[in-house]
Amino acid sequence: MHSPRLFVSRALVYALLGVAVLVVVFPLVWMLGTAIKPNTQILDLRASLWPSHFEWGNIVKAWNSAPFGRWFLNSVIFSGASTIGQIVTSLMAGYAFAMYEFRFKRVLFYVLLCGLMVPFSTIIVPVVQILADFHWLNTYQGLIVPNIASALGGFLFRQFFLGLPYELGEAARIDGASEFRIFLNVYAPLAGPIIAAFGMISFLQNWNNFLFPLIVVNSTSMDVISEGLSVFQGQFNINYNLIMSAALITIAPILIVAIAAQRRIVAGITLGAIR
Amino acid sequence: MRRPLALPYLFVAPAVGLTALFSLVPLGMLAYRSLFGGGVFATHLSFVGLQNYGNALQQGGTHALQVTAVFTIGFVVLTVGLGLGVALLLDVKLPGLDRLRAPFIIPLVLPGVATALIWGDLFAPQFGFVNRMLNLVGLQEADFTSNPSLALLMVLTFGVWQFFGEDVILYLAALKSLPLDILEAASVDGAGPWLRFRFIRWPLLRRNTVLILVITALTGLQTFTQIDILTNGGPNGATTTALFYIFNQGFIEFNTGQADAMGVILFLISLVTTLGLVGFLGHGTVRDA
Repeated sequence: MHSPRLFVSRALVYALLGVAVLVVVFPLVWMLGTAIKPNTQILDLRASLWPSHFEWGNIVKAWNSAPFGRWFLNSVIFSGASTIGQIVTSLMAGYAFAMYEFRFKRVLFYVLLCGLMVPFSTIIVPVVQILADFHWLNTYQGLIVPNIASALGGFLFRQFFLGLPYELGEAARIDGASEFRIFLNVYAPLAGPIIAAFGMISFLQNWNNFLFPLIVVNSTSMDVISEGLSVFQGQFNINYNLIMSAALITIAPILIVAIAAQRRIVAGITLGAIR
Repeated sequence: MRRPLALPYLFVAPAVGLTALFSLVPLGMLAYRSLFGGGVFATHLSFVGLQNYGNALQQGGTHALQVTAVFTIGFVVLTVGLGLGVALLLDVKLPGLDRLRAPFIIPLVLPGVATALIWGDLFAPQFGFVNRMLNLVGLQEADFTSNPSLALLMVLTFGVWQFFGEDVILYLAALKSLPLDILEAASVDGAGPWLRFRFIRWPLLRRNTVLILVITALTGLQTFTQIDILTNGGPNGATTTALFYIFNQGFIEFNTGQADAMGVILFLISLVTTLGLVGFLGHGTVRDA
């Protein structure tokens, strides 16, 4: 008696999820289809939606039309340095706030917490003014240094270390290990999984950051890949196949990272929401 | 407990110092400079009281705040709704569903500029996918960049596509942590899927829903890339949100005072949204910070 109804409801679950996955993936398929379309087919309404033959040369042509190599390099430098900086400073701060008692601890922690409450987008104008005073506009340090501290990271690592037993370090202390050694050799290795999850999310956020590099950088050679892509779009306007080729070039590496590291990304997203 | 003197300070100094320098100092500057006239690089600032606020609100700011409200509310409702819906489907115990989670994180991690260009292409006049489909079913073509409502709809659709995966992941994680025995007991007692959701899952998810609403609302309030690439705030300000207004006034028009005034307003809106949601909806939930 139950089975026909059960079958229908199960089929419905698969069907609805199938539609949802299709909606998520379709724009990427469209991007690929347009990227490898021959010129004659992009501005022709009678042409089929999917290219009749694949013009892989479009991707090569897009790559050769703009300094993508330099833009990728800038992105690697910017996101790599910012991410490593965020991990190191957050790990150290989180550890100290969890493990030690010291004067002004409360005040210093509130400073960090206040950082969580200030959305970066609201303070873009004064941040640029500060960077201008430092003569840091259009430099790597201007891109990286303001991005090195992560209030969220400090908070997450503090929560993590608060959950670890104090006795671990005490044993090493009796053996005569220095405080710095205890941090580096006893506690920090235990944070491995949380470092991986936080690092993954931090890297993706930095890599995809568009607004901050946009206001700090004003030359094509210093642009990160996102800015470069928007410059490219300005130049090639309605050459949809070249623009989609450029989008494909930009998306491909991060798509590979995303598929390879999906578990860490999921862990990072869930971690970031525990506030 | 031994108390090393310098070590803790050395450890917290980079994070706390940089947070102060690049979050709190700018916030102070923002509030202070919003009361003064003069451009970005002006050496002499003159006190003008609340005039920047008045100018900002009269010259497009009020409209930008309305656009922000419409966009953010639409964004939150659709993103959280879809996120919860898909998460509930993924949580059903059926073979193969665990492998369907991965696609939903893809839009979330891709560079916003690249995906914005794709959506610009989908919505392109005449040759874009959407217009070709409208054509196919005999409807009139739509110009998504010159019609104000359609432009906002386009930006909203794209924003929801890009970000709803985050709410899927967060709701799914929350659903997985719910006590199974209660749900099974209810099932045995004959409660169907809707009753189990309405009276068991939904109340148990309350704390998660508050956090998800806060995160999603802040994402919505800070939407920038989509608008910059797809519509550049247009047509005629129809997609100029408060953040886009700040960007325009601060870096294109060089009306720094007005940009700062709007910055203060957007900061207060973010703060009130966060505290408001936690305060009203979070009433009675346990916060372990």
